[in-house]
Amino acid sequence: MELYDIIFYLFAAITIVSGIVVVNAKNIVHSAFSLLLTFFGVSGIYVLLGADFLAIVQIMVYVGGILILLLFGVMLTNKITDVEIRSGSFQVFPAIIGLAAFAAILFGVMTSTNWKTESFEIPATTTFQLGRLLISEYALVFELLGILLLVALIGAASIARRDKE
Amino acid sequence: MYNFLIDIFGSPVIAFFVAAALPLFLFILPYALIAVLAERKVSAHMQDRLGPMRTGYHGIFQTVADILKLIQKEDITANSIDRTLFNFAPYLVFIGSFAAFAVLPFSSFFVGSSIDIGLFYFLAISSLVVAGILMGGWSSNNKYSLLGAMRSVSQIISYEIPTAIVVLTMVMLTSTLNLDTITNQQTAYFWNWNILGGAATGIAKFLLIPLMFAAFIIIFISTLAEVNRTPFDIPEAESELVSGFFTEYTGMKFAMFFLAEYANMLAVSFLITVLFFGGYHSPFGYLGNSLGIEWLVPIEQGVWFATKGLTFVLVQMWLRWTLPRLRVDQLMTVCWKYLIPYSVAILLLVGFITLI
Amino acid sequence: MKQYFINTWEGLWTVLVGMKITFKHLFDPAVTIQYPDVKPTMPERARNRLFVNMDDCIGCDQCARACPVNCISIETLKSTPDDTPGETSQGKKKALWVTKFDIDIAKCCFCSLCVYPCPTECIEMTKVYEFSEFERNDLIYKFAVLTPEEITDKTQKYDEFQAAKEAEKLAAAKAKAEKAKQDAAKKADDNPDKKAE
Ligand code: SF4
Ligand code: SF4
Repeated sequence: MELYDIIFYLFAAITIVSGIVVVNAKNIVHSAFSLLLTFFGVSGIYVLLGADFLAIVQIMVYVGGILILLLFGVMLTNKITDVEIRSGSFQVFPAIIGLAAFAAILFGVMTSTNWKTESFEIPATTTFQLGRLLISEYALVFELLGILLLVALIGAASIARRDKE
Repeated sequence: MYNFLIDIFGSPVIAFFVAAALPLFLFILPYALIAVLAERKVSAHMQDRLGPMRTGYHGIFQTVADILKLIQKEDITANSIDRTLFNFAPYLVFIGSFAAFAVLPFSSFFVGSSIDIGLFYFLAISSLVVAGILMGGWSSNNKYSLLGAMRSVSQIISYEIPTAIVVLTMVMLTSTLNLDTITNQQTAYFWNWNILGGAATGIAKFLLIPLMFAAFIIIFISTLAEVNRTPFDIPEAESELVSGFFTEYTGMKFAMFFLAEYANMLAVSFLITVLFFGGYHSPFGYLGNSLGIEWLVPIEQGVWFATKGLTFVLVQMWLRWTLPRLRVDQLMTVCWKYLIPYSVAILLLVGFITLI
Repeated sequence: MKQYFINTWEGLWTVLVGMKITFKHLFDPAVTIQYPDVKPTMPERARNRLFVNMDDCIGCDQCARACPVNCISIETLKSTPDDTPGETSQGKKKALWVTKFDIDIAKCCFCSLCVYPCPTECIEMTKVYEFSEFERNDLIYKFAVLTPEEITDKTQKYDEFQAAKEAEKLAAAKAKAEKAKQDAAKKADDNPDKKAE
């Protein structure tokens, strides 16, 4: 058990426990806030895996953006906290079958994949390579994604403006 | 710094925790003591008053007395609040504002964490503050708190955009996200500071100076709005919302919000210092170098860094006691119609200049 | 478009102007005073706590009648010729012992109406303005100087004097009645004939 391991298990525990709370909480706002911890734990794990840029993006986009948007939506909805959320168990038998199938597939993939195990230097920072790849190898994808976002933005703006006329 | 601490404590784990807690006790707490008093004194003198006068000479122990009072205060929690979230929110806000200090280079000897995405991290981690504010405001089960939280969050999110664009400009200029590297690019004398064109040479430097000034003003305004200070204090507008999202908080929990606000002010001031004013570098060279005393240099750097940061904090206070509060629509106008177009123009122009 | 730049410029410029003003005020001396250490000087004719100079009060009750909130209550006792309250500082003879002179300063509205009618100018406004108390009863100021014993003494004296006077009067009346009787008898004696006629 090194420091590294302790931190890893800490983050893993945060992620899993808060994930369970997200699913089980009776109050939808509680779910939303435990999602925050889940995102945070995941980004911690990213850091430990050497994906520092990804970790920060995770916090920036998910915590700073999506989660806040989600919370705004929840809070601006009238009486949302009074709604009875059904988080009991239904259809237990089919669920078990589905779960078992999924677990079997996952396990199969995990054992049959030829993992890259050769050790190589973990780059101190991934930002530089990521940036370079984005504008060279994946330039097309990057641009397409940009256009997609732009379309979404324009769409949102036009929907918001419609009833003005 | 970290290695030095390992040497002292003989264990990386202890050194780790000490290194993490050091900025809190070395910078934030003493700073908060001074800043709260300074705020009251500055405001008083600007209004031709004297401010606290009765605890010690000109009231210098007023904050100590206030802290003692706050510690003794009863921790009131109303019955209809959401207890878990209510208790957790102050910590989240404080974590968010304190974690930002992790990447700041205080001096060449004391660089919190010299990660290569420091700047990005700095912007991202402040979203924890946003979540904390929303949490506190909602769980208080009080319409003023909720309104304050909503206003605060929409304000912070809006003003994050000009901040991010200016930061992007600086990243284009310095081509790094590492705050320590940015600092070291502005070494030597003050004409190497980014506000004066940085390390660029020739005509580009002169072209950059007005742009950098504009960028500095934009980021100053937008960070001011992000830390919810007057004239952008509509989230806690006393005359409308009691005190915004922390209306229901008492005692030490209130103190944590308070501390977080002041820590945030310092953090953004430090960010501006690093980006535009040479970080911990002295504008004139070091006494330690000319005297040949090596250990003096880092101390000098720390002092310079603190001085520059505190100057901006003082300017924030100065502004607070000069300007009245903006209305919500004015607030959004300033952000979306003025700051963002200007910052995008600066981004493009700086990109153009750095290309040629 | 031009307006846009003008707005920007004005926004920044006016902020700077404002900052200049506040900066100047930073070095102005404070206009406030450190109150409990430094007391403000009261203007001439300031209306604060009342004071009654009992040496001069003749107990005429005019101030009590002038008071719009009835916060002055005065009780007096007539003096006897052998034990008079003396004279005021202006040489006016005092005829009444003031046995009670209470001002309920909690009720007082500081209108100063009681000050003007006083014939001897002995009730006046002072410059004392700090007189808060923990008990409301402590705000009733008692100005009468006589002790209870003195009061009973004076009451007794007055009663005795009164009794003596009464007795005198009675005696005088009796004497008068006697005299009248005698006179009547005399008259009757003088004209017995007339009666008989
Ligand atoms: S100042 Fe006015 S209210 Fe006070 S005792 Fe005199 S007459 Fe009455
Ligand atoms: S008017 Fe003056 S003299 Fe008369 S009772 Fe009042 S205080 Fe005494």
